[in-house]
Amino acid sequence: MTSTLIEAAGLVFQPYVLGVIFCSAVFGMFVGAIPGLTATMATALLVPVTFFMDPVPAIAAIVTATAMAIFSGDIPGTLLRMPGTPASAAYVQDAFALTKKGTPELALGASLVFSSIGGIFGTLVLMTASPVLAEIALKFSSFEYFWLVVLGLSCAVFISPGSAARGLIALFIGLFAATIGLDNPAGAPRYTFGNVELLGGVQFIPAMIGLFAVSEVIRGFIHRRNTAPPPKTGNSSIFRQQFANLKKYPVQALRGSVLGTAIGALPGAGADIAAWISYAVSKKFSKTPEKFGTGHVEGIVEAGASNNGAMSGAWIPALVFGIPGDSITAIVIGVLYIKGLNPGPMIFITQPQMIYAVFIVFLLANLMMLPLGWVAIKSARQVLSIPTRVLMPIILMFCMVGSFAINNSVFGIWLMLIFGIVGFLMEENDIPIAPAILGLVLGPMLEQNFVTSMIKSDGSFVAFFERPISAGLGMFTIAIWMIPLVMLVVRRVRSPKPAMPDA
Amino acid sequence: MRVTDLTLGILTLLGGIAIYLSAMNFQAIPGQEYGAGTMPRAVAFVTGLTGLYMIVEAIMSGNRGIGFRFAEWTRSGAALARVATVLLLILGYILVSPIVGFVPTTIVVLVVAMLTLGTRLVPAVIVSVVATIVIQQSFGKLLLVPLPRSDFLSFLW
Repeated sequence: MTSTLIEAAGLVFQPYVLGVIFCSAVFGMFVGAIPGLTATMATALLVPVTFFMDPVPAIAAIVTATAMAIFSGDIPGTLLRMPGTPASAAYVQDAFALTKKGTPELALGASLVFSSIGGIFGTLVLMTASPVLAEIALKFSSFEYFWLVVLGLSCAVFISPGSAARGLIALFIGLFAATIGLDNPAGAPRYTFGNVELLGGVQFIPAMIGLFAVSEVIRGFIHRRNTAPPPKTGNSSIFRQQFANLKKYPVQALRGSVLGTAIGALPGAGADIAAWISYAVSKKFSKTPEKFGTGHVEGIVEAGASNNGAMSGAWIPALVFGIPGDSITAIVIGVLYIKGLNPGPMIFITQPQMIYAVFIVFLLANLMMLPLGWVAIKSARQVLSIPTRVLMPIILMFCMVGSFAINNSVFGIWLMLIFGIVGFLMEENDIPIAPAILGLVLGPMLEQNFVTSMIKSDGSFVAFFERPISAGLGMFTIAIWMIPLVMLVVRRVRSPKPAMPDA
Repeated sequence: MRVTDLTLGILTLLGGIAIYLSAMNFQAIPGQEYGAGTMPRAVAFVTGLTGLYMIVEAIMSGNRGIGFRFAEWTRSGAALARVATVLLLILGYILVSPIVGFVPTTIVVLVVAMLTLGTRLVPAVIVSVVATIVIQQSFGKLLLVPLPRSDFLSFLW
């Protein structure tokens, strides 16, 4: 263990890796601070660059950029009432109210310090829970993995905003895209239409850039949002008030961290949902719920800790089972596969130093957040003054070059364009994007485990419930599907019938 | 463009049927019943069920309209023109950059995109040239991505 830790530290504490971490931190801060550009988009734009790195700096870049982006999304939320990322939207009302009262530093300081606390807590849970879960996961067969994937996809469908049916449509778009190409149990070409490039399947990175980034660029061209310059952040200390906040709200900080990490660890649920739930919980248990929304820092403390906790928690199922906790870890899993690091319990045995390196990077990222966040808050006015009419075309260019760089072929840009239009149309129809990405990433794993299980069981579905953990996971998954249906029927039966008009 | 719930249900059902039919001929693993068609058929089956559910739900809740309505922004000719421009710029880049090269194509794409969004000409040209050089140097030189070369500004390579 100690030697592994030393080896992992050796992988991280190198000038090149530290330089990558620093640059990604600045990049993440910048992207997160621009309204409309999310932490997921920061990851999507970063992936083509990480393609050319060794595994440790590549993962370090993504971890750092996303952690920073989730925090810096609070900056425009606080100063302009325009949350930089959806994860910041939950408490934007309180943060902006504090700005109107002339104390934006109080909101930004709370968000920064408690983001860091939440992130470190989530990392500690990740460090302790993952190896234990990995030991259990070693005993899993294709049946357990089949149910785990179905469970993850089910959670993604039910947790996504909008109706479950729309979430399912998104999921099927992703699963269908995953069936394209030669990579299937029989090795037969599927939906390639004679195109040689499609034999390799839908490349994940251009598809993801299209779904997340290009669809956002198209929207940017439609609405041509130009933000007003933000108010100046004053000269009072960002950190001074936070010790008092920590003393005043220790339960809230801990509850936000715990809940955020737990929600993040659920397959399919990420920082956005964690922040909303934690804000609601904070208000529910607060002694002064009437102050929420009027510039009260309590909700910012809890939800701020929660969204960064979720970011770390989402890595637990991603590393242990290869099943992403949210759309960012879905992208990360794609990157891990590209790097030859197949996530799953075996990686804890074959390459433990890589896993510990990831843990160290998480801790570093969350500690670096404090000084870099301070700089970001102080320079917020300059960053937010960059007009989107200049930024959007440059982002579009990065998308195209990034999609090209994966295979050095314009086919990647074709894929990006098609998925960009699909993503745009999906959002126009309230169909969420995240389940489609999860479907695309988990499709091959689902297929492999489903077909293997069917062959092993000779086509009998009973075998899916014969092993105890498999049966438990299966019943849990079925319950997730059945409970909403049962509740719907109960509501229909209980609802009073409309009175018949008199004849 | 936003389709009605009933239309979305019908399209989903038709999509499921199309995937199922197209997966009928995929070959199985030799000696097995399962193979390349198993997963697409399973996806098609559940897609069809989802479509049916949406159709029934739309009819029961009284949303029986079929078709689509255009979003609010489509009433603005300028917004439509901007969307058409961005799509044509991507298409143009795909078709032209392998012939003309990365640097000139990128400068033109960036300048046109910025002008479309309302940036004035001189700042648009200056920012576009600088951004092109930064992207070319970072991807082309640093990361060794073989971006399409050109004689224009050849000293950059």
